[in-house]
Amino acid sequence: MAGSSLRSFIKDVRSSKTLAEERSIITRESAKIRTKLRDDHLPAEKKRKNIQKLLYLYILGEKTHFGQVESINLVASDDFADKRLGYLAAMLLLDESQELLTLLTNVLNNDLNNHSNKYVVSLALTALGFLSSSELARDVYPDVEHLLSHSRDPYLLKKALQCMGKLIAKDVSLLDTFSPKLITGILNNHSLCTHGVLLGVVKVLQSILQSFTSYQEFLVEDEDDGGSYMKETKVSESNQEFFTRILEPLISIIPHLFSILQNLNAKNFEPDFDVQGICDPFLQVEMLYTLSLFFQLGDKLESSEILQYLNKFSDVLTQLATNTDANKSTGQTILYETTRTIFSLNLDQPLRVLGVNILARFLSGRDNNIKYVALNTLIKVVPQEPKAVQRHKKFISKCLRDPDVFIRKRALELTFAILDEANIGEIVEELLRFLEYTNEDDKSLILFTVEHLVSVFDVYSITDEKWQLQVFVQIMKLVGRHIASDKISDILIIINNAKNSTAKRDVLVDMMKYSLDDKFSLEIPDENVCWKLVSIWCIGEYVDMLLESQDTSLINERSLSDYLCRCSTRHNEDQRLLNYTLTAALKLSAKIDDAKCLEDLRQLVVRRTRDPDLMLQTKSVQYELIFRQPKAVKRAILETMPKFDKPHKQEENPLSKPIRPRLDPPKESDLLFGLLQDDNGTKSANEKKQAPSVPQTDLLTDLFKGSTSSNRNSNRSSADARGIGLLSQSASETVQLPTQSVRIHVSDSLQVFAYLLSCGNGTSELEMYFKALQAIDEIQSFCAVPKTQKLTIGQLYPRNSLQMDDICKQHLKITGSGKLKLRVKVSFNVNGNAVNQQFDYKFDGSL
Amino acid sequence: MILASRQGKIRLVKWYTPYTPKEKTKISKELPPMILSRKPKMCNIVEYSDHKVVYRRYASLYFVCGITPEADNELLTLEIIHRYVETMDTYFGNVCELDIIFNFGKAYAILDEMLMCDGSITESSKKDILSHVHSMDNLESRDQIERIMS
Repeated sequence: MAGSSLRSFIKDVRSSKTLAEERSIITRESAKIRTKLRDDHLPAEKKRKNIQKLLYLYILGEKTHFGQVESINLVASDDFADKRLGYLAAMLLLDESQELLTLLTNVLNNDLNNHSNKYVVSLALTALGFLSSSELARDVYPDVEHLLSHSRDPYLLKKALQCMGKLIAKDVSLLDTFSPKLITGILNNHSLCTHGVLLGVVKVLQSILQSFTSYQEFLVEDEDDGGSYMKETKVSESNQEFFTRILEPLISIIPHLFSILQNLNAKNFEPDFDVQGICDPFLQVEMLYTLSLFFQLGDKLESSEILQYLNKFSDVLTQLATNTDANKSTGQTILYETTRTIFSLNLDQPLRVLGVNILARFLSGRDNNIKYVALNTLIKVVPQEPKAVQRHKKFISKCLRDPDVFIRKRALELTFAILDEANIGEIVEELLRFLEYTNEDDKSLILFTVEHLVSVFDVYSITDEKWQLQVFVQIMKLVGRHIASDKISDILIIINNAKNSTAKRDVLVDMMKYSLDDKFSLEIPDENVCWKLVSIWCIGEYVDMLLESQDTSLINERSLSDYLCRCSTRHNEDQRLLNYTLTAALKLSAKIDDAKCLEDLRQLVVRRTRDPDLMLQTKSVQYELIFRQPKAVKRAILETMPKFDKPHKQEENPLSKPIRPRLDPPKESDLLFGLLQDDNGTKSANEKKQAPSVPQTDLLTDLFKGSTSSNRNSNRSSADARGIGLLSQSASETVQLPTQSVRIHVSDSLQVFAYLLSCGNGTSELEMYFKALQAIDEIQSFCAVPKTQKLTIGQLYPRNSLQMDDICKQHLKITGSGKLKLRVKVSFNVNGNAVNQQFDYKFDGSL
Repeated sequence: MILASRQGKIRLVKWYTPYTPKEKTKISKELPPMILSRKPKMCNIVEYSDHKVVYRRYASLYFVCGITPEADNELLTLEIIHRYVETMDTYFGNVCELDIIFNFGKAYAILDEMLMCDGSITESSKKDILSHVHSMDNLESRDQIERIMS
């Protein structure tokens, strides 16, 4: 294959049947090129061929850095074909950050001053535009300037202008020497002003206008040695200087730009520039953008010189908005830019309404791209012109059903953005209808909707509580299986805090009808855990209320306890649900009389006393104790929940958080479990399941204090946590330290011991003992094991605040393989100060 | 700008802003599958990290452009892509994927006449672009003939 042509190389690569074959061809060729590049005596033809192949490798995504120097050599050649290929290769293989660029400086200098062949100059300009480091920018700036003032060839002018724009952007200090005459001179010479040149001119203008702020910074740095007062005056002086020297001459061309733009827009047909009957939309859009930059700067500097043209500009915009054909995609492009300009400058109200109307027309069309940009812009416009946007609600809701998820997402954000006190009812109904149409793929959208609906109800005070509750019941029915557990808690809080008890009763009875009646089992599938959780919780909390209602024969002691039993058997795996069921069963038992039902409920609790899950086991054992109490005692313990204070969320605007799919990126972590590094406690799956156990005692203290002020844990509280909390406090057992335990950590306030209960066959059980050396409270422990292992941890027993010499213990179960080692992080309070300690311990045994 | 085939193979690529090789590989690996997975009726604008990506499909080839969200006009980018395709179409005479694969040099040349610097449009006239590319081609072949003659 040696010396074969580029064509045959491409063919070979393409015809290879397997990936491995392709790889081998590529590596072979790549190696060959690498050696050949070192050979200086190769004929030019061969060298070119090699570089061409190298470029093909580049397109394939292979490593090609070894060709960088060779491509610069080619550029230096006198042969045009060499030069052309060389520049192409340089532009692809090099980039602005590379030091090799200095090698290019000389060649570029020569080529830019090549007067015999304009294409050499143009190639050099193209490459320069592509590869200008700020150093290079300074070196070749005079050459480009020279070209601009002397060349009369539009082809070179347009490229030189583009380069100029780029160079200024690269190094703002070049503005020191920049002369605006270059621009005005070109504009005044009518024969030079081809569209290409105009595009170049606006590019330079854009670059100057955008560099203005960084230019100011540059000036400040430059004057850094003077005192601050001196600095200020100097800066304002040089600002002034910049203004009169550069901006003023440029401002004077604004009317000229207006007329060019207007002419373009009015022009009917020009074969060269026509795109679907619109004359050069590219230039029109670029000009609009440039003008809008002008006025933005004018706003910022409060320069009357610029702003005097604002009225005229509004007229031009109105003209564009009314005269451009909205049925052509190019026309829409211009209209879109026009509206963007209107809103970026926040022009007069009539114009803004005009803009909103244009965008609304986009929404009603069929083209998805246009809908997308329209929605996107409208979202930004809402704060400026809320009423005008609301008027087009109909189109927005239509977009909620668009097949494209990106459009739906935008429409959803927009829907929330236009929501206010007046239209909340209508919009929420609309959202419910939206939820009805969603499917599995829309999970992130659903979560977004639910989350925002919750906060919407937080922000606006709803008078009609019944409706609010109904909305949530409806949400759970539609998308319950997607709702995250923290949102379930929010929903529970809303139900719990509803003041109007008849409304609450009606809604809950309705909800129960669905839960209890088998004929709705299709509508509430087993995966709808949210619905079940809430039903179970409500049974526990509102038995009285439910039994009171006479609406339906469905609700009675029998059916309610059956429901709990059914849930407990059917969802054997779901710890959270089982926890809820236990509490609900206990609470229900306090309020019913039917002996058979009571026995069923007792069985339900008793069955869990041998549950492999420690949490459940402990809980059911404790519940069983309460279960045996007389009814009066039970009733007192199991009083209905007080109202929660929902902690105020930080986000004020429900829209401040964009929709993100709920997929957390996999976190990098060291061998031992990165989970502890994340202080916020990205708990492992195991720990998550146990999460409700952590706040128990905290909640309890709250209860006893008789206050409802929830501390940091209780906002995510679950009803069942309170029930068990009651017990763990009443049980004031003490823990003894087993004699065989080993001390694994010691500090001023705490000693930690470990006691290995069993180890081997892939599982190990151990207990950790925390011994307080002074009074500490709110102990929390987080443990982690190597990645090859899985950890289940129990709660702290008997309580998480200790007096001096008190001991509490925690059960750990580790499954998996490898050496047995632990990383433990303990946090607790000593005299009100939070303390964090972390340590590792390696056991002798392995799993 | 990336041109990718329907199989997700990259046919032409040009970076208008500097990226490290690592970022480049990442982008060229992630983007094509993302765009290929979109259905024809979906909109041609995709959000990708902090950029927007505008793409357009022509037969088996996808033309993909990354743009700056606030400054660039998405719809105009679509028009630019279309302009580029039209221009190539005239140059090659009914352009197809193979033309671009085997003559990537020419495809780059046309692109360079159209877009410069950091991707701003330089020339909107098709005729203009083509005439300059042709005269450069001629220059190249004239040189070649001269060399053979001498």
